[in-house]
Amino acid sequence: MAQIAAERYTGASIRRSEDPRILTGRGRYVDDIKLPGMLHAAFVRSPLPHARVLSVDISAARALPGVVAAFTGADLEAMTVPGPDALSALMGAAGPTPEFTLLATDKVRFAGDPLAVVIAESRYLAEDGCELVEVEYDELPPVASAAFALDPGSPPLFANLGDNIARSRSRNEFGDVAATFAGADRVYDFRIDVHRHQNVPMEGRGCVASYDPALGVLTMHAATQSVHVSKIALTMRLGMAPDKVRVLAGDIGGSFGLKIGASREELAAAAASRALGRPVKWVEDRSENLTASGQAREESFEVRAAVSNDGDLLGLDVTMVIDTGSYPGMGGMVPAIIEAMLPGPYKLAALGFESVGVTTNKAPYVAYRGPWASETFVRERVLDLIAKDLGLDPLEIRLRNAAPRTDPPAVMLTGRPLAGVTTRESLERVAALADIPAFRRRQAQARAEGRYLGIGVATFIEAAPGPRSPEGSSGPMGSESMRLRLDEDGIVVLFTGQMPHGQSHQTTLAQVAADEFGVPFEQVRVVVGDTDVVPFGLTGGSRSATMTGGVTLHGARRLKAKVLDFASHLMEVSARDLQITDGNVWVRGDPASAVAVSEIARQAASGEFGADVDARLEVEAMFDGGEGGWSGGSHCAVVEVDVETGIVTVERYVAVEDCGALINPAVVEGQIRGGVAQGIGAVLLERSAYDSDGNFQSATFMDYLLPTACDVPRIEIEHLQTVPLDADVNFRGVGEGGMIVAPPTIVNAIEDALSPFGVRICEQHLPPARILELIAAAEAD
Amino acid sequence: MTDITVTVNGATRTGSVEARKTLADFLRDDLDLTGTHVGCEHGVCGACTVIVDGRAVRSCLMLAVQAAGSEVTTIEGLAPDGALGTLQQAMWDSHSFQCGFCTPGFIVQAAAFLGAHPDADEQQIRAALSGNICRCTGYQSIIDGVLLAVQRSRAGISEGISEG
Repeated sequence: MAQIAAERYTGASIRRSEDPRILTGRGRYVDDIKLPGMLHAAFVRSPLPHARVLSVDISAARALPGVVAAFTGADLEAMTVPGPDALSALMGAAGPTPEFTLLATDKVRFAGDPLAVVIAESRYLAEDGCELVEVEYDELPPVASAAFALDPGSPPLFANLGDNIARSRSRNEFGDVAATFAGADRVYDFRIDVHRHQNVPMEGRGCVASYDPALGVLTMHAATQSVHVSKIALTMRLGMAPDKVRVLAGDIGGSFGLKIGASREELAAAAASRALGRPVKWVEDRSENLTASGQAREESFEVRAAVSNDGDLLGLDVTMVIDTGSYPGMGGMVPAIIEAMLPGPYKLAALGFESVGVTTNKAPYVAYRGPWASETFVRERVLDLIAKDLGLDPLEIRLRNAAPRTDPPAVMLTGRPLAGVTTRESLERVAALADIPAFRRRQAQARAEGRYLGIGVATFIEAAPGPRSPEGSSGPMGSESMRLRLDEDGIVVLFTGQMPHGQSHQTTLAQVAADEFGVPFEQVRVVVGDTDVVPFGLTGGSRSATMTGGVTLHGARRLKAKVLDFASHLMEVSARDLQITDGNVWVRGDPASAVAVSEIARQAASGEFGADVDARLEVEAMFDGGEGGWSGGSHCAVVEVDVETGIVTVERYVAVEDCGALINPAVVEGQIRGGVAQGIGAVLLERSAYDSDGNFQSATFMDYLLPTACDVPRIEIEHLQTVPLDADVNFRGVGEGGMIVAPPTIVNAIEDALSPFGVRICEQHLPPARILELIAAAEAD
Repeated sequence: MTDITVTVNGATRTGSVEARKTLADFLRDDLDLTGTHVGCEHGVCGACTVIVDGRAVRSCLMLAVQAAGSEVTTIEGLAPDGALGTLQQAMWDSHSFQCGFCTPGFIVQAAAFLGAHPDADEQQIRAALSGNICRCTGYQSIIDGVLLAVQRSRAGISEGISEG
């Protein structure tokens, strides 16, 4: 039965317990749910980016046979509790709160803004109904760029804000910025642009909302990164008591930050279900997903860099503008994280950081894998630009500036100690694996043949979870809860608020628990996705390895202690002399004494014991991240640029990473490769494109191009020996790093390939047409 | 409405469908075969791939009425009793997938391709699967799974390793 004869499951590439159902078409995704009497929702969406809504006529839609109901934005306001966007409210977004309604009422703010919903017996009929909804608009000038949004004369999207500033301008300084720049040998100015792109999980958003009028209970089948965060939004917006709302989730087809909580459409579907007393399903189609689910990045950075003639990066002074799109979301929270992370693993003496967030007539800003990733792009791009100007090797300038590992550790200019950071090791190792001198010879040879190869290196650190702050009383990422129970069939059951959507938690957490408790891997069950039974939690921010891996370890240890305590009464042996291995409790040194943990659990459930015996074999555990630590690594790409077509081919990709102790190497490597593939897509293919009038230009997969099996090379991965900081828990997050560091790695390689043309690259999106423009512009200079 | 008869995974199935209903929706909604996933509805992502009369097709681009009289195999038909075939077993062993949404399309596409090209090499497999999009894995683990299946088939290991 046991598939791997390992002493321990932790650290082994155990096959996933999720796979037998997924490989046979028996996964259960939200669109697979079919409830008796279920109706289907479709949304009427604005074709215009910015307009006043004069009227919405749903009468013809309502009259269509098969249509059960249709609701306008005003109807939905009457059916729900008005208030700000739930997620922004929950996360405490800074700044004034824009007017917010579930569906647009008097105004539409992006092409795709929903302003009515039609509920019918089938999705086909619901879409027919949408065709019959008549909307009269009074077009307004679109605010289609951050530059225009910053213009006080631009028409405000939100009347109550008065302008298009979503997050007011602020500036912080760390170190002596003025003196550092005044004393520097050289000061460089760059403008770095990161384009708008998006998550695009293969399964879009969706839900089945099922309100039971007799019980007054709403059961929401959701695709969400947190059933509890979805529940908070539902209770707030529907005005329901928490005990009347239950959120369930099954298999989820990816998210990458998109599916945090309940979206406007999901809340509308829930309100419709309550109004109609019937289940309502809404599953977005791909056009809705690309147009309206949300987008990320689109940030520009004015960067001044103070540098010594030897290549010491002394100071950065950065002004950031973020285009947060039309409705409040994650965008307002990103600048603060970018500010905190900008120094990276380098010994910077001064940092000035100014930021402003604007609102525009584009889809709202959502979290996308490493939402603050632009800090790494800016830093790693700027280092290459400086190195080129000074005639330094890109590896050399990084090694020169990376903080050495000291005791006590160097502290990032913005506050966090760089405890256990292995940047120098990963840089040196990735350079060795890539064999840069050999590459340079090959590159010279290729150039002689008219072929343009390039190599790029970039490095990053990620606070996953981050180090424990010396003076901090709480851990680096808040706390994580778990309930653990030994059932009568001998199964150790873990109840977690994590909501996996590809991360393999049902495998990895079982590995940790099996080892710590002492049962076979198959004897652990991981329960997710039910607000009635799982504690609060969220899958996101690369938190699960440390936080949930950690609470699993400590929880299993406590449960084991409790089981041994109880067993000591049954077996009349001191708990200190008992141990659990392979699912049996036994007296040390006496294999014949073995009793199955299932037998112990059965006796606990059925027997009668004195008040001094605790027979409830269940524990609640909390974990605060322990000593924490950094994730990080260095990546290297080799590319070839066809200067006739502008096509970039990634020939080789090497990642050297440190995510602490590995729970399941195959799972870790899958996260890294997937993130790198998204980074390759971001640079070479993907862009959420709007024209200058705010019309969305990439609403299909023929326009929004994703990398395929022919675009992504084999990705070579090596794991560094980590520096353990905690006595027990040194698993660190790895979900976002690939996506954070791949874009600068690829762009650095492309610039290196094009160096014979003198091309300097200050942007992230480099499709073939743009490559040709850059070459032409450089040649014209 | 049009009455149709389709052989699905070896069984005769009948239905009454609107002419506009896609084969994907017929399989999922009328026949409850929800293993076929709908990822883009415009024929690009490949999640909805099924085999119709021996050829891999996008069931989002084919109407149910067009499948009348045809033989259709879905992901459910590749593991009728839940037992994994060589390809699925190799993909399990290779940690091929993460979220699982694209998975049925990849497996059906790969199964159809390997049926015609049992000795395919990596480049051929990449090209054959380049019409299927996976957003999670970066493809390497999927390609490795298919290569492992090729290797095992060649070595005559037709059945997967039994799993208790």
